[in-house]
Amino acid sequence: MEKTRFSVSDFIAITNQTLEYAYPSLEIEGEVASFKINQDKYVFFDIKDAGGSLGCFMTVWQLRVPIEDGMKVIVTATPKLTQWGKFSLTVKSVRPSGEGALKKSFEILKAKLDSEGLFALDRKRSLPPVPKHIGVISSTQAAGYADFIKIIGDRWGGVKIDVAHVQVQGADSPDQIIRALQYFNTREELPEVVVIIRGGGSADDLAGFNDEQLVRTIAASRIPTLVGVGHETDESLSDLVADVSAATPSNAAQLIVPDKAEVVRSVRYKIQSVLPRVLQVISDQRSLVRESLERALRAVETQHERTEDQFYRLRRVLEQLDPNVLLKRGYALLRGETKVGSSVEIETYTAIIKAKVEQYEPK
Amino acid sequence: MSQSKDTTIQEKITELDGLVAWFDSDEFTLELALEKFKTAESLALGIEKDLAALKNDIQVVKQKFDSES
Repeated sequence: MEKTRFSVSDFIAITNQTLEYAYPSLEIEGEVASFKINQDKYVFFDIKDAGGSLGCFMTVWQLRVPIEDGMKVIVTATPKLTQWGKFSLTVKSVRPSGEGALKKSFEILKAKLDSEGLFALDRKRSLPPVPKHIGVISSTQAAGYADFIKIIGDRWGGVKIDVAHVQVQGADSPDQIIRALQYFNTREELPEVVVIIRGGGSADDLAGFNDEQLVRTIAASRIPTLVGVGHETDESLSDLVADVSAATPSNAAQLIVPDKAEVVRSVRYKIQSVLPRVLQVISDQRSLVRESLERALRAVETQHERTEDQFYRLRRVLEQLDPNVLLKRGYALLRGETKVGSSVEIETYTAIIKAKVEQYEPK
Repeated sequence: MSQSKDTTIQEKITELDGLVAWFDSDEFTLELALEKFKTAESLALGIEKDLAALKNDIQVVKQKFDSES
């Protein structure tokens, strides 16, 4: 049998074709060693376990989460034989594996983004009180999405809700959410708020929401953002960077629209609150009228008493001026000419006497 | 459809707030109170009816996000 003879280049090319056919994309889990970044562009590291070690290569822009030596990761890669005959993995993506690595990666990226001010409170924008147009990014099959839509429907109406259906877990999830965010941010008619929601899951399920590019895209959104991912206890970097963070998708629905039952209660309360005011004014005015009447009555009584006093006083004076009183006291009235020989009339209290003047002498 | 109706609800709530505020203002007179109260009551009923009738308009966008397009 004739042996196939290759040139070195052809053999490398055929080997790579074979590898690519056999393993178009494979995931390998191991511990990172000798991690380094060259020229701020190229990332090199080894991935190893107790039995072996593989060289890995990727570009910086593909590195979506921080990794460091000793961290357990899962790489998605294609195997490749380089032109120098070295076997390596060309990495498409890398993500931390296991709770410890996820937490470590989370803390490193959190500190980095925090130092850039991405989580600063003064960056936060408030949501419109009653939005008329909402963009939702979620998986339409997710339980969290169903909860959100149900609660928002129970609470309010008249809202235009555009839903971008994306994967909310897995390696493709961050890129899909990024594209959906870019989609909403480039619409002619922008939604007033974009909501990113996903129900609870394991730390690995939610890891996509700690993707650096996703976090930066949320931070750069022209439209205010509301993120409701996982359960109350879950905290993702997407939550931290969002303008408003909800504990759960249901909570996101509660935060984004008012509760119409609450509005109805408030409207009824407003109407009811008016009645006591009207009754109070009626009562006040009634009191005022009563007080005025009482004051008028008192004034009439006082005036009456005063007039009566005046009358009695005058009557007493008149009584003193009555000639009969003087006559009664023994005086007499003399009428007629007071010269000797004239006839005069003398009136006493009890009699009228005719007399003649016999003598007249001035005092 | 929903937008204009929603705007109307907001306007009605604002108008109701204005009417309720009138009852606490110096402009309050008993002569006008009954008329104002009837208007406020009618507004409140209108708001309740509008709220009950409102439905959300949910559309799943056609664009796919699973790859660059």
